[in-house]
Amino acid sequence: MSSRNPAVEALGVAVAARVPVLLWGAPGTGKTSAIRAMAEAMGLPCETVIASIREPSDFAGLPIVVGAEVRFAPPAWARRLAEAGHGLLFLDELSTAPPAVQAALLRVVLERAVGDLTLPDEVAVVAAANPPEQAADGWDLSAPLANRLCHLAWQTDPRSVADGLAGGWTAPVVPVLPDGWEAEEILSRGLVAAFLHVRPGLACVPPSDAAAAGRGWPSPRTWEMAARLMAAAGAAGTGDDARSALIRGAVGDGAGVEFLAWLVEMDLPDPERVLADPASFRLPERGDRAYAALAAIAAAVATDPTPERWTAGWQVLGLAADAAPDVAAVAARVLARCRPDGTALPAEIHLFAPVLRDAGLLPG
Amino acid sequence: MTVAEHGIGDLAAARLWAATTFPYLATGVFGAQVIAEPGSGTVSVDESWRMRADPELTAQWSPAQLGSVLIHHVCHLLRTHGERAQGAGVRPDEARRWVRAADAEINDDLVPAGLDLPGRPVLPRDLGAEDDLLAEQYFDGIRHASQAQSGAGAGAGDRPGQRAGGGLGGESQDRSAPSGAADTAGSWLDCGSGADGMPRPGDAPGGLSCWQAELLRRQVAQEVIAHARQAGTVPAGLLRWAEETLVPKVNWRVLLAAELRRAVAEVAGAVDYSYRRPSRRSAAVSEFSQVLLPALRRPVPEVAVVCDTSGSMTEDLLAMVLAEVEGLLRALGLARQVRVLACDTAVAPAQRVSSARQVQLVGGGGTDMGAGIAAAAALRPRPAVTVVLTDGYTPWPAAPPKGMRVVVGLLGGQAPEAPPWTRSVRVTGLAPG
Repeated sequence: MSSRNPAVEALGVAVAARVPVLLWGAPGTGKTSAIRAMAEAMGLPCETVIASIREPSDFAGLPIVVGAEVRFAPPAWARRLAEAGHGLLFLDELSTAPPAVQAALLRVVLERAVGDLTLPDEVAVVAAANPPEQAADGWDLSAPLANRLCHLAWQTDPRSVADGLAGGWTAPVVPVLPDGWEAEEILSRGLVAAFLHVRPGLACVPPSDAAAAGRGWPSPRTWEMAARLMAAAGAAGTGDDARSALIRGAVGDGAGVEFLAWLVEMDLPDPERVLADPASFRLPERGDRAYAALAAIAAAVATDPTPERWTAGWQVLGLAADAAPDVAAVAARVLARCRPDGTALPAEIHLFAPVLRDAGLLPG
Repeated sequence: MTVAEHGIGDLAAARLWAATTFPYLATGVFGAQVIAEPGSGTVSVDESWRMRADPELTAQWSPAQLGSVLIHHVCHLLRTHGERAQGAGVRPDEARRWVRAADAEINDDLVPAGLDLPGRPVLPRDLGAEDDLLAEQYFDGIRHASQAQSGAGAGAGDRPGQRAGGGLGGESQDRSAPSGAADTAGSWLDCGSGADGMPRPGDAPGGLSCWQAELLRRQVAQEVIAHARQAGTVPAGLLRWAEETLVPKVNWRVLLAAELRRAVAEVAGAVDYSYRRPSRRSAAVSEFSQVLLPALRRPVPEVAVVCDTSGSMTEDLLAMVLAEVEGLLRALGLARQVRVLACDTAVAPAQRVSSARQVQLVGGGGTDMGAGIAAAAALRPRPAVTVVLTDGYTPWPAAPPKGMRVVVGLLGGQAPEAPPWTRSVRVTGLAPG
């Protein structure tokens, strides 16, 4: 139970999907050791680069004049990773890196380009940072750099600290994604696209205040990142909490929560389709979803109360009455108020009399 | 989901009553899972939106009473009382007091709206407090009262505040955790970890996960607001909760720190690389090339703080913000460069003080921050960043001062906007954290 820390799980998925990820957490909470342990468990070479003590030329390449041209020579850690063909590039202390170094990091993080050298696709980029208010000399992450990373909050749960002290720390597990998982990315991209059709305002929202600039924010690039992470999380079979952390980490809390809420709504049956074929209705298991589904159907009938639709609505409520009499009764009260003239009372209405009477909502 | 499965009679009727009486909370009521737990002697709730109810206890209640208890517990979850208890530093032995404070936060506007709890509900006046406060504020009140009591030798300290009046006798009838007569020993019923954040032995994994609970909470908040717009009969406290849930309050300390860091960084060029001096690395690589590398430079900007000292300012708030600003600047390594100017009227010269403690609110009207900013600009060496702390009731210069960045701290929630050429942060009192 305690080992299923959503942030740890999400880190594993992001590394497996090769999406650059940034862990935010207070100093001393084990971000660095978790990442090193993860690389060791995977048997990958891990190159740690402390961004705050590096110069821009360490990431953009050291300029060297060779004949008539300038080459940008990559540092040794980049060569080692390129030669290994895979591995983990760990950028520590990202938020204390001076702005010029952050600017130089832009291409490293997203395109894995270090000077004239391009790191292989199999190299995963992981970064760690202390929130600026906790680091003595921290700067807020520049918005372009923040937009290239999936931000995960590294929380320390007192119980897992206790477990770790007593029984040793467990390394985050990087899930093995099945071959062809990227095919699922098409599906999740479709979902993101459908959401952005409904909420075009969320396609690109650059942060307005200084504090929000250093975190995830919605842009075409981060939405693409969110779709990839969602597909990877699905393929890896991760928990809901981790999936939600990944989506919110990519596009920011505000847009991420809206998208997740929309996904939940997408699961509900379409009221018009149910009214056309009442027998096909399946009551959602969770009470609040059942309520949302039935309320939507009742509202759909109320907006256009033809006798057929009204009767179909009652048939649906009849199907739900056994499993959720209270939920169905709330919808029944809506239907009862919009009875079309001359329509016969449906048989289902009697199913709700006892519960309505018990609740004191019927006389007698 | 059937009633028989739950084993609690009248549950359907109770939920129906709750969903009809408080339609804006219906999603919350149906979102909570109810499990029968015979012999527990209470109705409790955990943070995963599961309620455990003792069928024997609930059988004594009418559907409206059971429905009210459901609503009450849903409000514990909506208002994240479990999580907030940890934030407020509630110790396990104080959990009962916290629950009373949390109950008061829920009941103060829902009881007038028709909540029909069994027994006598805890209301703010039982705690000797006013309505419309937060659980944290009620809790502080109880804590102080009990400290005063134990200081006077009252001992146990488990009987905070005033005894709830009412004097209902039927102890087994009394659901006294959220209800009155709360201190009668033995009759206290446990609201569960959803109300006080203390894990219970019965809290098994399952139920709603954190983010599902978060989505459900937002859904309810949206429905509360939609209902208030259509019908307008939502209790004010609940509406405020909904608004704050959907538009979370930003901690002004974080915002102020970020704005200040940004202003200083923009002016100073931060700790950044410049070609003013060649990098020492050039020497190391010059064997191979003739390239000039930039070196790390750190220009240190001058910072001035201008304080509005008119009578309309709140002294506590000003002192707090000044201390915050000084702390932030010290963290940026700029403490020695800071000069604080106290500014009142347009005519009086800005005075120079060396610390926040020396700023005095002299009172009187006619504040002009323009004069303060001009005085700051006249300082030598000229400050590159000026922080203005004001209540906003002041004329502003029409144009930004040349070569100086202005960060404004607007004190108080009602302060008028600062001009767009400043970066302003609204300081709204004691923010959490």
